Amino acid sequence: MPESVVREVLDVRDLTVEYDGVVALHEASVSVGSGEVLALLGPSGSGKSTLLYAVAGFRPPSAGEVWLHGRLVASAHRVEPPERRDVAVVFQNYALWPHLSVIDTVAYPARRRRVPRAQARREALTILQRLRVAHLADRRPAELSGGEQQRVGLARALARNASLYLFDEPTAHLDTHVRGLFLAELVSRQRASGAGALYATHDAEEALGLADRVALLNAGRIVQVGTPGQVYAEPVDLWAARLTGPASVLVEGDRQLLVRPGWAGLGGDLSGRVSAVWFRGPHSDHLVETARGSLLIREPGPPRCRVDDEVSWSLHRHWALGA
Amino acid sequence: MVLVVGSTMVLVVLPIARLVQIVLGEGARDLGEVLTAPGLGTAVLNTIVLAVLVTVIAVPAGTLMALGLRRADLPGRGFWRMAVLLPVVVPEFVLAYSWTQAYGRAGFTGALFGLEWEGVLGFGGVLVVLVVNAVPLAYLLAAVGLAARGEPNLERAARACGAGAATVLRTVTLPLLRPAIAAAAVLVFVLTLGTFAIPQVMGAPAGFTTVTTRIYADLARGSDPFTFIEAVTLALLLVVLAVLVIAPADTVLGPRLRVTRVAEAEGAPIVAARTSASRWMAAGLGCYLLAAVALPLLALVSAALTRAIGIPPSPANWTLDHVTSVLDQRTVEAVGRSLGLAFLAATLLTVLGGCVAVLERRRSGRWVGTLITLTLVLPGSTLAVALLITYGRWFGGTLTLVLLAYLAKLWAFAHRPISGALDRLPPEEMHAARASGASTLTAVRTVALRPLAPALLCAWLVCFVIALHEVTMSSLLYGPGSETLAVVVLNSQELGRIGQTAALSLLLTVLMAVPALLLWMVLRWLRTAHA
Repeated sequence: MPESVVREVLDVRDLTVEYDGVVALHEASVSVGSGEVLALLGPSGSGKSTLLYAVAGFRPPSAGEVWLHGRLVASAHRVEPPERRDVAVVFQNYALWPHLSVIDTVAYPARRRRVPRAQARREALTILQRLRVAHLADRRPAELSGGEQQRVGLARALARNASLYLFDEPTAHLDTHVRGLFLAELVSRQRASGAGALYATHDAEEALGLADRVALLNAGRIVQVGTPGQVYAEPVDLWAARLTGPASVLVEGDRQLLVRPGWAGLGGDLSGRVSAVWFRGPHSDHLVETARGSLLIREPGPPRCRVDDEVSWSLHRHWALGA
Repeated sequence: MVLVVGSTMVLVVLPIARLVQIVLGEGARDLGEVLTAPGLGTAVLNTIVLAVLVTVIAVPAGTLMALGLRRADLPGRGFWRMAVLLPVVVPEFVLAYSWTQAYGRAGFTGALFGLEWEGVLGFGGVLVVLVVNAVPLAYLLAAVGLAARGEPNLERAARACGAGAATVLRTVTLPLLRPAIAAAAVLVFVLTLGTFAIPQVMGAPAGFTTVTTRIYADLARGSDPFTFIEAVTLALLLVVLAVLVIAPADTVLGPRLRVTRVAEAEGAPIVAARTSASRWMAAGLGCYLLAAVALPLLALVSAALTRAIGIPPSPANWTLDHVTSVLDQRTVEAVGRSLGLAFLAATLLTVLGGCVAVLERRRSGRWVGTLITLTLVLPGSTLAVALLITYGRWFGGTLTLVLLAYLAKLWAFAHRPISGALDRLPPEEMHAARASGASTLTAVRTVALRPLAPALLCAWLVCFVIALHEVTMSSLLYGPGSETLAVVVLNSQELGRIGQTAALSLLLTVLMAVPALLLWMVLRWLRTAHA
């Protein structure tokens, strides 16, 4: 097919996946374009991993379709095995083979393409050098730290040369400081290769910071898909609002107004009483009890007031939540 | 500490030392003559050939079963997982005897379909039944290896790297399983070296001898000092053969066998698959179990109920005569002795096994754990002969000697599950109890005992089940008035009383099935408790 027709790397249509009689994913539809990162954001058990596993070919769908590059790879009637799909997977628990050295692990995908061993190892070493872990080439997984293991997992996925990357909470087991480094690396590598990515996470900051679009999942259903700015500023309901960041709700008549911490400020014509204060370093959070509900106000610098102070405040912006 | 050290001395160290002393001392001048006795070379060769062949066949078969039974799309997977362990529940003696009744001359298939296999008595039959008997063990070790090391994501990762199912098996699954497969091979080899009931029932009538059946024949002939020295020498030879295999295997595999990682719950499907292969697999398993266990047991029932051999097993020829005739005073007493002995042995063994498990966690007690694990490779015949020459003067022919033999042989079986449970007990839980103000004893009672309870029960039941049908040592050590049920069955078979032997075999099997069922339930409880 001409490229103009098939813009999407991945197209998931009304996908339903059942596992032991339980519906883990219900009629989910998402798509990923070339070079795009789609984050799947949801709490554990919301169906993120199920969706990834169905796209990878680890779980059969009971209804719906998965298309990769305009090719049907999974439906209720036909299931292409993972090795014949053009995907690479990075696992939450790394899934490194304990009996293989790092270099053989990263050479593994090339070996499956029948590349001779010496050449596969040379290619693997190049990838390891790019990820700055070439010095680990002869180690076994048991001798690596969590951050090192996940880089090797990423290197193995890159060696696959796939056009779609599936990340299953790759940073869940990493320390905060390793995490930032790893994320920056991951996204730059994947974008440089021009591939699309599905990135499952339960961390809102991670999802909003790294994705081009975010899909919110709740109990096996996709409740909203949009840019990070959209899902943060215009969530479809209260649940989505809470999932994507700190959210205060003010009642106005029969409407519920979402107010993000930066959308209100101290000083103004409205009044309230401070019930809690947290100093967060670069900014401070003030919880203010108002006539319309409690409100979280974020101000730069150290706290401006103390608990039980009467304060005035003003509302700059709000978003009316759906019923 | 004193109890454990004393027990190891009495049960293992002293008897084996005495065995070596007799062979190298009193037996030394006869050694040349003993080793060249007619038929002895054949018996040794038969034993080694059997052990090699059984290992080569049963271990791959068990591994394949473990791999097949992991498939989530296998119809009736839960049932098959239990069914493939069936041959273990049937006592070795009964399995062997039921095969002769099913496939032998004038047997069940002969009467029904005119199909007879002359070779069922002799090398062929012994080999096949030994394989059937060993497959569940190989399966279990491979399945445990899969659960411990074969984490599903490792294989999924390989698939996502472009490897097909066969390549994943070759490059990931089997390499991960290598330690488990090697352990299974070593264990199957050593257990086959020491196996007695199957070659005795199926080989001896056809003049096919192994080391163990020759020891039995030597001791049965009794008073002749030469045959006695021969039995003692053969007993030592068995250990030497076992050690020759174990020692290199342990140095090569030891460190790897001790490294295990606990993985996520087994049984998750690796990849989405919809093939008819699993249906064929289920059918194959069904046929195998039908031929290996179900049909022979049916033949045994038929033999127990049919009036005489050679006549068709139709309802007109059915009778309860055999069943009633074996339920005499002698059998009832033997059943009582078997149950009592198994109960006592299991109880003492749980205590001893627990003591070793606790002791080996101290630096000074580590050797005890190693020694006890080593007794696993001591063939029953060797232990029985060693105990006989050491304590025979005082306890010869008494139940005490049989009990000592059970304790020595089964100690490792009691030790393993308890030690394993202690390994899984997080030390933080005990620390937390102590930090909350509990004394050591209180901490053990309130925090450790509950998680350990299933393992203790499991150890007790394993020992009870094995002791209940033990025949290798019992048949060498019993005297008038100390026969166990298994010995009564063996004697009945030697007298050629087919109907009665079949009836007694069924009795023994039923007796085994009850605690075995309990054991299975405990194991399930253990598994769900972990999940």
